[in-house]
Amino acid sequence: MPHVLHATAITRRFGVIEALRGAELRAETGRVTGLIGPNGAGKSTLLACVAGLDEPDSGTVTMDGVPTGATRHATSVFLVPDGARPWVDQSVAQVLSFFAAVHGAPPTLVAELHDALLLTALRTQRVGALSKGQGKRLLIALGLLTPHPFLLLDEPFDGLDLRQVRDVAALLRTHAERGRGLVLSIHQLTDAARTCDDLVLLDAGRTVAMGTLEDLRHRSGRPEGGIEEVFLALT
Amino acid sequence: MRSPNALGALWRKEVRELLLSRAFGLLLIAVGLLVGHAFITAVQTYAEMSGAGGGAAALTQGLSPLDGILVPTFGAYDLAATLLLPFVVIRTFGAERASGAWSLLVQSRVSTRTMIVVKATALFAAWLVALVPGLLAVVLWRSYGGHVHGAELVTLLAGHLLRAGISVGIAAALACIAPQPATAAVATLAVTVGLWALDFIAATSGGIAEQFAAFGPAAALRQFEQGLVRASTVVVLVAVLASGLVAAMIWSVPGRRVQARLRSSAGALVVAVLLVGLASRLPWSWDLSEDQRHSFSPEVSSALRSISGELTVEAHLAPEDPRLADLRRGVLARMERVVKTRFVQRGGGGRTGLFAHPDSAYGEIWYSLAGKRVMERSTIDNIVVETVLRLAGKEQPTTGAESTYYGYSMNSEPRYAAFLFFLAWPLLMIAIFWRARRVS
Repeated sequence: MPHVLHATAITRRFGVIEALRGAELRAETGRVTGLIGPNGAGKSTLLACVAGLDEPDSGTVTMDGVPTGATRHATSVFLVPDGARPWVDQSVAQVLSFFAAVHGAPPTLVAELHDALLLTALRTQRVGALSKGQGKRLLIALGLLTPHPFLLLDEPFDGLDLRQVRDVAALLRTHAERGRGLVLSIHQLTDAARTCDDLVLLDAGRTVAMGTLEDLRHRSGRPEGGIEEVFLALT
Repeated sequence: MRSPNALGALWRKEVRELLLSRAFGLLLIAVGLLVGHAFITAVQTYAEMSGAGGGAAALTQGLSPLDGILVPTFGAYDLAATLLLPFVVIRTFGAERASGAWSLLVQSRVSTRTMIVVKATALFAAWLVALVPGLLAVVLWRSYGGHVHGAELVTLLAGHLLRAGISVGIAAALACIAPQPATAAVATLAVTVGLWALDFIAATSGGIAEQFAAFGPAAALRQFEQGLVRASTVVVLVAVLASGLVAAMIWSVPGRRVQARLRSSAGALVVAVLLVGLASRLPWSWDLSEDQRHSFSPEVSSALRSISGELTVEAHLAPEDPRLADLRRGVLARMERVVKTRFVQRGGGGRTGLFAHPDSAYGEIWYSLAGKRVMERSTIDNIVVETVLRLAGKEQPTTGAESTYYGYSMNSEPRYAAFLFFLAWPLLMIAIFWRARRVS
């Protein structure tokens, strides 16, 4: 029986800016959910609210129907924010082993992620000296070391080249198949279509549509359309 | 989850971060140089006072290693705790917030409270490491044949640990409240300047500023430097540290609005103020100085202890009047340890200068006990004690020798000190930090 993460009617205002206006998100363990939308749609804010790193003005976040609340966030959802560059003076190996120890990740998983994310050659490299793409791969590894049922990744493909996007997408799918629920905030629609089982379309702080690509095609009235066409029709 | 593995990993991470921190490296090097300079100067001055070079020796009774060697040598730590340690603290608490590492950490099952405590203990350990040059100076002094009174040294070290605790508490709170480490640094500097201003106002105006300043870093440290441990000071300093860490926790927990954090901070502040207010009334104190400078002779102390009721001392002296300082520090500080004493100061405007105002009673000191009052102008301890005992209807005790402390003269050169503090210590620190930054 998969776990279900459900955020409903989330609103968040920053001064005069309404970042979220009743946004909704639904994700299941064992599946990859893509949160797509144009720049400024509120994707990062919604992820922060779902993970408990930000407090929404209103709305609820539940896992299996039970509110995650302040204390349950730490056991149900983990968010890897975009742009974090943690512990810049420490080496990649030190950061990974620290994170694995804090989250009780087995050494086999650490080794697997070193290989899968091409971090082995960077083991002795200082985090501050990593390129954007290398830093992003490290962040993905950190996220995959955590034991939370749901892993939220903000722009996981940003900074990666085409081959790396393909490899990382395959790795994420593998982890979803092992029983985790992955929610990826993506602004590259082709990446989203290639990687995700379900899509949540966010526009101007509102969830416009949710479901598989097939569902969205039907809803947009373009049964044969590509994801970009569907996106434009729905927004 | 707070498994030993997770706690161990957090602790090792904090130690690594400190070893990789330029701020901490600079603090250790600077402390070594400052301690070295202070120690060499102190040893030379002490030797001169002891009659080095054929000059006249000072009265041996006045030669105390605590005042002559330990306090000036460890004085470097006050400077370090004021101006250098806050930057190490701000890096420890603020850098992770700026880099996004904190938002990753707070999602683990280790509580924010635990993480803050681990950071504080790592900083405590770092400060212990920073005390090594001072302890090396003590070892050198002993190797020259110098005398060290163990209780005085321990008291001094405790004072510097608590002094550092204030810096940690304030800087940690500001590092977590401020959005950027640079803002926290500016705010910490502002607090430091504010405390200096408070000391200045207390010295010139007295009154409530003086009561607050008594628990400020400078005044609190001065007590320990004189071998005096007051329960009130210890509790207040620990309360300041704890309040700072609580504020750091309040502002580090994720997903809370500013208004909610402000409300929690206000609550914590009220609790802290109440705690400090209660703690400041604690009467216990311990004179751990070898020469018992904060105590009357046992016979006089015993006679004063037998006085029941509260003694009120009303001094018509301006804050800047040296007689007031003599009375407060030379007599009342000792009196308060054995008799319940309430001090009232009149004549705030002073007798001279632009703001002078006439006070016909200026210079009078009134002692009141159980409805009886007596006036005495002298601030000499024997006379004051005699006056108080007469007021209480007690016999003046017969005392033995005036003092059993004979002091320690010491005529020695500060051998090996320059090599140790100006060459070996900085090179060792550079080697350790260079090694730590070389990722293996």
